[in-house]
Amino acid sequence: MTEPLLKVENLRIELALRSGQAPVIDDLSLELHAGETLSFVGESGCGKSMTALAIMGLLPEGVGSVASGRILFDGRDMAQMNDAELRGIRGNEISMIFQEPMTSLNPVYTVGEQIAEVLRRHKGMSKAQAWTRAIELLDAVRIPNAAARVSDYPHQMSGGQRQRVMIAIALACSPKILIADEPTTALDVTVQAQIFDLLRDLGRETGTAIILITHDMGAVAEMADRMVVMYAGRKAEDGPVRPVINHPRHPYTKGLISCVPHLLAELTEERPDLTEVSGIVPSLASFGADACLFASRCDMADDKCRSQRPPEVAFGEQHSACWKADRL
Amino acid sequence: MTALLDVKNLSIRFPIKRSWGRSSWLYAVDDVSFEVKRGETLAIVGESGSGKTTAALGVARLVQASGGTVNLDGQDFLGLELEELRQARAKVQVIFQDPYSSLNPRLRAEAIVREPMDSIGTLPVSERPARVAELFEQVGLRPEQMKLFPHQFSGGQRQRIGIARALSTNPEFIICDEAVSALDVAVQAQILNLLRRLQRDLGLTYLFISHDLGVVQHMSDHIAVMYMGKIVEYADRLSLFNNPKHPYTKALLSAVPSVDQKRKVERLLIPGDPPNPLDPPKGCRFASRCPFVEDACKAAQPPLDEISPQHKVACIKA
Repeated sequence: MTEPLLKVENLRIELALRSGQAPVIDDLSLELHAGETLSFVGESGCGKSMTALAIMGLLPEGVGSVASGRILFDGRDMAQMNDAELRGIRGNEISMIFQEPMTSLNPVYTVGEQIAEVLRRHKGMSKAQAWTRAIELLDAVRIPNAAARVSDYPHQMSGGQRQRVMIAIALACSPKILIADEPTTALDVTVQAQIFDLLRDLGRETGTAIILITHDMGAVAEMADRMVVMYAGRKAEDGPVRPVINHPRHPYTKGLISCVPHLLAELTEERPDLTEVSGIVPSLASFGADACLFASRCDMADDKCRSQRPPEVAFGEQHSACWKADRL
Repeated sequence: MTALLDVKNLSIRFPIKRSWGRSSWLYAVDDVSFEVKRGETLAIVGESGSGKTTAALGVARLVQASGGTVNLDGQDFLGLELEELRQARAKVQVIFQDPYSSLNPRLRAEAIVREPMDSIGTLPVSERPARVAELFEQVGLRPEQMKLFPHQFSGGQRQRIGIARALSTNPEFIICDEAVSALDVAVQAQILNLLRRLQRDLGLTYLFISHDLGVVQHMSDHIAVMYMGKIVEYADRLSLFNNPKHPYTKALLSAVPSVDQKRKVERLLIPGDPPNPLDPPKGCRFASRCPFVEDACKAAQPPLDEISPQHKVACIKA
């Protein structure tokens, strides 16, 4: 196996709270290989976006910090880099698209200027070169009549088009890694399907590795090669998508899959109640505890789950952090 | 069985100011008819801007309809005025999308739930506190939580308060406007199960507005698919999901990613955006994005024809 593009080792991120330091990410390790799509799944408040921000070096200043662990990108530890080094990588070799295309574009610049800015900063292109390249990029993300639309302001575009502009900005420097943080949550399903098709095609053409953050298991099944299920800042389960979805080895994964009403191949009269995962994600204050943090919502939990943090157990390529993984 | 709600030819339009003092009308809902039987759920689905929420708000008289009739339990709901309207409002309640902005942050949870009873006066004042306690239990909140303010609740619990408020006047008909789309998946399941349990126990009738086809499939008995203010397909649950006829419905269904490996639908792409609603096309409104379009589609609007019992489609090629 080749050396992974990105390797996160025992990452721990702490947030400064009034009550002290709380680990929002606790001992997280993962690998991302060139050309593959990895998905982070979990509810809000489970640390998916925080992990992405840490990889980008964008943790909220003064509040969040990497307490221990390494983020190795091309053999260099990003957690130790200074701001200038990070700026050289950000938007260039690792780029990100955000959840809300409405608020992540600058309303007072045309979309062309916003795409060209990245090219001039990282690739040293001239104004004219960057503008021509911006048109090509808009065309590549399938915005019709790109030569005219390049001078549009964000408000002149629909939500789907704005997200395409975001993708064009993110892909401008042909990054090695693209992080997509819930890229379609604010969009309609038909637009979502188009954005997913676009990401998949671009990933195939350019060999860009994609980290897709989502809570939609359907999207994971359709887009990703491997997935990491996160719960309360920890990895609950990871592995190749198919085996994990067909046979989840963690009750949380199982709950996430079965609590959503999915469209099925053949619909019948039968409509059983949805499986509930009762309760909600625990508060930050309890994140560091030496216990399974899912225990309070798990109907299989016993005293051991409440008093000892479960280690990761391997089932082939699949790993689960559950004391009862072998019984699932 | 007769329908509890019978909507005929409902239209809702908004004035749009143009230059030189001229104004024109935007038809958000254009000649829409549907009915909901007692104890059943009708879902309206469609993309944002299709008019699904406006149609529902028009039914509840929260926006003014410009034409058509709404018949609720044998009563002409659009014709009611003053005291009669106030009393009739007790029968129609709404659960809103955003559990964060739809609760008054300055009121305690019990006051929020009690407010509809106070303003409509459905119960004697002395019986209202007991009714609030009963509602809290029904929606799965603890009695001691009655004294808390909205910010002290999680999103799912707030939506439970919203449901309790909607139930407080003993309504027969509840409009759920994207009631679960702001919630996390695990919490969404809790609320959906609650809504179905309440429907069974209290014999409620729902108008369920959603863009999530998985949720609609789970909740509804009949489905109306809207596109640009028009219903393009109207069918019972099994026909619509197993045998969609309108190309727009097919495109919507094919766009939903699924974990079911057996579900292999060919992706039907509909490029572009809907046309400008201020200047809708003369023919079929979906023609500009439809992969099967032909000249006849652009000539005249296709009527919503019944192609089999319980299944209506507005497409000349269906």
